[in-house]
Amino acid sequence: MFEGMMKALKMTCQDVYPLISESQDHPLPFCSRIRLKMHLAICGLCGIYNKQLDIICRIARSLGKDEAKILEDTHMNPETKEKIKKWIADKS
Amino acid sequence: MSEETLEPQQWVERYADMMYRFALVRVKDAEAAEELVQATFFAGLKSQHTFAGKSSEKTWLFGILKHKTMDYFRNSKKNISLDLNSEEADRIHFDSAGHMDPKPVNWNMDPERAAENNQLSQVLAACLQGLPEKSHKLFVLKEIEGMASDEICKEFNIKPTNLWVILHRARNQLKLCMESNWLNTK
Repeated sequence: MFEGMMKALKMTCQDVYPLISESQDHPLPFCSRIRLKMHLAICGLCGIYNKQLDIICRIARSLGKDEAKILEDTHMNPETKEKIKKWIADKS
Repeated sequence: MSEETLEPQQWVERYADMMYRFALVRVKDAEAAEELVQATFFAGLKSQHTFAGKSSEKTWLFGILKHKTMDYFRNSKKNISLDLNSEEADRIHFDSAGHMDPKPVNWNMDPERAAENNQLSQVLAACLQGLPEKSHKLFVLKEIEGMASDEICKEFNIKPTNLWVILHRARNQLKLCMESNWLNTK
């Protein structure tokens, strides 16, 4: 146990940052989760990185739901719209 | 309650922009997004007889658009290989002590409220367009569509480890892009 703790404390950000990203995808195995928690408790920079990825994932999820609101100033090319309108009028 | 009816002559005015935005956050370029909208209207027109009037016209058309978008992903290259030296390589660097270099910048926001920030969401949408094609596709399916990892792996014949590595690199690229495009203009 003590040995495991020492190992975790010696981990650099480079060792830990893939675990941060992985934790966005699925719950980490127990040991990895503990190692990550211990590192985050002592490393402010990885804490910032963790928060950044959390923000990116949350915004991405909202992009899939609220695209109308987020891209409200984006419109389809008027020429393409006219082309489709004509096509629909011909076929209806 | 009256049953819904279809009014194809009104589709473009009513839904084209909405559908275009939906497609645009999911596919990599404007042209592909336009094609998806066109294909949806064409398919809708052809299968008008299947509309039972139980859902709204909008829900019905968006259902078709969702199918068309998934077909678009399926028809792009089936097997996703991982080339460690490819353009998807990790762009995060570390110094000799194992610290991130440059250091991550505090974005000073509560993650739970981040999605309320429209400006930041627009920057992410723009940064997404900069991802290489396969990272873009996998990131969209996983994070925007919320598809399960095992489903993505099965659909695209990709190993879970490879999916995870590609997603990890995509997130890192997005993080760097957001730092340079949003934080610098704040």
